[in-house]
Amino acid sequence: MQHLLPLAAVLPLVAGALVPAVAWRRPDRAWGWAVAAGSGTLVVTALLTLRLLRTGPFSYPLGGWAPPWGIELRFDALSALSLGIAMIYLAVLVFSRRYAQSAVAPQRRAWFYSLLLVNLGGLVGFACTADLFNMFVCMELVSVSSYALVAAGGGRIAALAAFKYLVAGAVSSMLVLFSVGILHALTGSLNMADVAVRLADVEARGPVLLAVGALTVGFMVKAALFPLHLWLPDAHASAPGPVSAVLSALVVKLGVIGLVRVLPLFTGLEWLSLAPLQEALAWLGAIAIVTGALAALLQEDIKLMLAYSTVSNVGYIVLGIGLATPPAVTGGLVHVLNHGLIKATLFLAAGAIIYRTGYRTLRDLRGVGRMMPWTSVALSLGVLSIVGLPPTAGFLGKWYIALGAFEAGRPGFAIALLAGALLIFVYYLRILNALYFRAPLREEMLAVREAPVSMLLPVLALALLCLLGGLFGSGPVALAARAAAALAGGG
Amino acid sequence: MLDFRVVLAPAISLACGLLVFVLGRHDGWRATLTLSAALIKLLLILTLLPGSLEGVVYGYRAFDFPPGVGIAFRVDALGMFFALVSSTLWVLATVYAIGYMREQHERVRFFGFFALCVSTTVGIAFAANLLTLLLFYELLTICTYPLVIHDETPAALRAGRKYLAYTLCGGALILLGTVLVQHLAGSLDFGTGGLLRAAAGQPLLPLTFIALVAGFGVKACLMPLHGWLPTAMVAPTPVSALLHAVAVVKAGVFGLLRVTYDVFGVELLAGLGYMSWVAALAAFTILAGSFAALAQVNLKRRLAWSTISQLSYIVLGAALLTPLAAMAAIVHIANQAFAKITMFFVAGAIERGTGRTELHELAGLGRVMPWTMAAFTVAALSFIGVPLFAGFITKWYLSLGGLQAHAGWVVLLMLASALLNAAYWLPVVYRAWFRPPRGLAEGVKEAPLLLLVPMLVSAAYVVLLGISTRVPGMPFSLAEAAVHYVTGIGAGP
Repeated sequence: MQHLLPLAAVLPLVAGALVPAVAWRRPDRAWGWAVAAGSGTLVVTALLTLRLLRTGPFSYPLGGWAPPWGIELRFDALSALSLGIAMIYLAVLVFSRRYAQSAVAPQRRAWFYSLLLVNLGGLVGFACTADLFNMFVCMELVSVSSYALVAAGGGRIAALAAFKYLVAGAVSSMLVLFSVGILHALTGSLNMADVAVRLADVEARGPVLLAVGALTVGFMVKAALFPLHLWLPDAHASAPGPVSAVLSALVVKLGVIGLVRVLPLFTGLEWLSLAPLQEALAWLGAIAIVTGALAALLQEDIKLMLAYSTVSNVGYIVLGIGLATPPAVTGGLVHVLNHGLIKATLFLAAGAIIYRTGYRTLRDLRGVGRMMPWTSVALSLGVLSIVGLPPTAGFLGKWYIALGAFEAGRPGFAIALLAGALLIFVYYLRILNALYFRAPLREEMLAVREAPVSMLLPVLALALLCLLGGLFGSGPVALAARAAAALAGGG
Repeated sequence: MLDFRVVLAPAISLACGLLVFVLGRHDGWRATLTLSAALIKLLLILTLLPGSLEGVVYGYRAFDFPPGVGIAFRVDALGMFFALVSSTLWVLATVYAIGYMREQHERVRFFGFFALCVSTTVGIAFAANLLTLLLFYELLTICTYPLVIHDETPAALRAGRKYLAYTLCGGALILLGTVLVQHLAGSLDFGTGGLLRAAAGQPLLPLTFIALVAGFGVKACLMPLHGWLPTAMVAPTPVSALLHAVAVVKAGVFGLLRVTYDVFGVELLAGLGYMSWVAALAAFTILAGSFAALAQVNLKRRLAWSTISQLSYIVLGAALLTPLAAMAAIVHIANQAFAKITMFFVAGAIERGTGRTELHELAGLGRVMPWTMAAFTVAALSFIGVPLFAGFITKWYLSLGGLQAHAGWVVLLMLASALLNAAYWLPVVYRAWFRPPRGLAEGVKEAPLLLLVPMLVSAAYVVLLGISTRVPGMPFSLAEAAVHYVTGIGAGP
């Protein structure tokens, strides 16, 4: 039972490494294997979350070495996100079956699943680690597999987007690694709790400031926070459907989770006030909300639109973190999960539609709502949810962040947040109009069939979660409030 | 008092709407389904009526989301009044719509969203806190959109966009106000007689007031937020009837009543003095709306402007903050609803029967469609405020309420409004009855029964509302109960 914690990350990693072997003679097996591994991860993370709820946070020393020396894995309220990660991932893996058959060359298919599983392992590991270097390793696992996944669909734009993504990602990884190095040099430790304690005795202020700055910028790139978001739209829009879902729903959250993990390291320092940094984050978040939404307004390609909306939604999360009042941070963290659910729904539904029709602009997709009613219902639910209509999942985050903005005495931010939501709504209406209320432009639309079951089921399940995530949002909110206490207390 | 019926009432229409989407391809099935749901729901709400009259508050807490602020329902006399009006009208509008929409396209979508609209309206009526109210208010916006653009013509789509632009901005403002109330008061629950009572003197209070009043003011068509309503006239007539009389605009004024009596509370508002601005705005809207109506040559557009003017009676009644004015405000929800829906039914029947939509074309129609025009006449007399008709009750109590608030100008306003109403309805009535018909095609005759019966029933109701103020169990007694138990400004007259 106590070895479950390492298992959560190790299971998908090992399973991922084994995919090519499993699928050696029978390429069709890769999908089954991946889904089994995904389900296993889901069960493990669910058990871990149950244990968290029953006994509170717990640690696991890797190899039996006690924390300051060995690598510590720790499952706290923030790590409970791994349950959401596993849930979304399982849906994506199930969905991938038919999509990969059409979009990924047969000889690459095993690698495709292998990369997805490695990505999952990295994400879960990242959420559960208490060690700086280990965090970096997990981040790299996720990033490198993501670069490759973007290119997996083939095509020139995908390769170019993957390359752009790689350059931005490599710079940010370098920054993070650089500051981990600084912190290690200053404190002689890599364990986060230990580093936080030892930093108090550090005399050299310059390097500490450098480390804070480099970590923040590094994670900002990963999170695609404005103005460092330029790599995101192309990468997310040109990747294969399920990959876009993973990237937008989960991979960008690395940056946010990383930020939430490392900022508390510096809250104990008397001479260092994080307030200016938080102020800057809040402003960047607010700007990202509005610019992301405005950029989405200009798109005609449904996947590009969704990609820009990710930029906007990361803005919400970062605004919440930047405001640093307990409700705001709670809202930001809840939105990490809920945006994941929503964006996965949207990208998967869009992927199913693109899979069936071959079109991806709103003009071409007119009238598809009648031909693919269930997929369209799921897409509509996702749309209403991303707009933040109560009682869907998207509402909770906005509610708490706005509440936190007032508590911080900054009503302007609350108004920016609501304005962003409104802008998004204006644009998403065009999706609904195209789906349901416009006559089709393309004759082929009339012959389009509903998505296959293996696509429909995960999409509908996620759409349902978008709804339930709001209606039964108390659980995630309570966990997020616990996780927020660490950050908001010091702010 | 915990009661399952409270949540069952919106749930019936919701289930009806969803069933229509799934099973509604067959005309007969769909009609049976919608009608039976409408009737069951009306009966269900009627079973709650005796309790509401005595001040019993039924409640049901559905979900706790986010923690502390749940989706919760409660039925007090005010909510009961609104729910009763809308579910009564739903029955009539459904019968009418079945007749009206016979040859139209996309009937499944139409009736599905029609039912969903009523579900959300009852949700608004029974909302126990501001968040639940906001939730259903936004859902109502979304459910009415497909109805507004039903024809899918460029004009309809444009109107739909305008409608959404206005109402969604309004919704965002209400969300802002809701967050502010939660921040200032720490709670959103209705029924306390003023959530913000303890927050007097807070610097954010004016912003809260502006956000909430402007937010609900969009659907209540308070000038200058009224622009969407005349444009939305492109919708099919049953939809216009529903928008104007039952669902959308009434949701706006109902929200304003809740803001006045439950969020701010009469005491706080009286101290703040913001309400005199709202009263002035409402008075302006009453007059300006009437003048604009006078300038219209199209029947449905004149109806739209008349709605804008009439709605502000309710806003004015709330803004005066006296018991008798509150009574007028609440009662006018029903009075305006029945009179206006009658007029829309008439307009739709004329359009279907003769193809005529302009006012000057209505000459002589009283001779070929006597029942239809009789219903129209009743509604017109009610708007003018002739005694024995529903509209008189409003004007009477609103004037008394104005005097109670030492605002004598309200009486003059009522008189002016009555004259204006006479100026734009009586010529139509005169032309219909006393001018010879011109250029009517052969075979034009009275509207079919499915259109005629709802029209006559609602016209009868207009008279009934005007003469039954002392009959227990009628809407008027319910409004008295609402003033008594909900508004916190003491017993009724």
